[in-house]
Amino acid sequence: MITVGTEAPDFTLETHFGTKLRLGDYRGRHNVLLLFYPLDWTPT
Amino acid sequence: MAEKFGVYLEKAGITDRATILIDTEGIVRHASSVGPGGRRNIDELLALATEINTKHPAKSPPLPAARKALSKDAVLYVREGCRFCAAVLRAAENLHCTNIFKVRDVTQDEGARRDLDSLAGEGAKVPALVEGGKVTQESGEIIRYLAEMYART
Repeated sequence: MITVGTEAPDFTLETHFGTKLRLGDYRGRHNVLLLFYPLDWTPT
Repeated sequence: MAEKFGVYLEKAGITDRATILIDTEGIVRHASSVGPGGRRNIDELLALATEINTKHPAKSPPLPAARKALSKDAVLYVREGCRFCAAVLRAAENLHCTNIFKVRDVTQDEGARRDLDSLAGEGAKVPALVEGGKVTQESGEIIRYLAEMYART
């Protein structure tokens, strides 16, 4: 598991709406809650 | 991506049921997992998220413009206690478009029931989104329609 206090690695994934979502786009703007939800086989 | 966060379970080929909180500076403030079959402690996570929100307030720029807009006369017909209606309202909240349409409850407002019946047929199902003369029913369809216009990332 990633260590608390370290920088979150950036990623880009496709969303339900077919758009791209990049973690880095939220920097300086929003806090982010990242939920891993196994076995649902859905996009971001 | 799950590997980068150390939550990929290689043997099973799935991710762990993990929760990561990242602050506005991109720093991981919380990382936990309850195992694939576990249950997250929502109260605990909410308290943590609230604490992070207080320490690192979001600096939200104005929302980008919607791709398209609902017409001004749009009405969402709902019924109290209907979970599909609640799902549409919740989605609209997330999409920041609740103030775009009027909400009418067909059980509390006889006029609403009458209007919906005349537009979509006797006993028409809710939730129903009416725009001009166009009726969209089924919560999934309505949410998809709203998202096409109002999903902004």
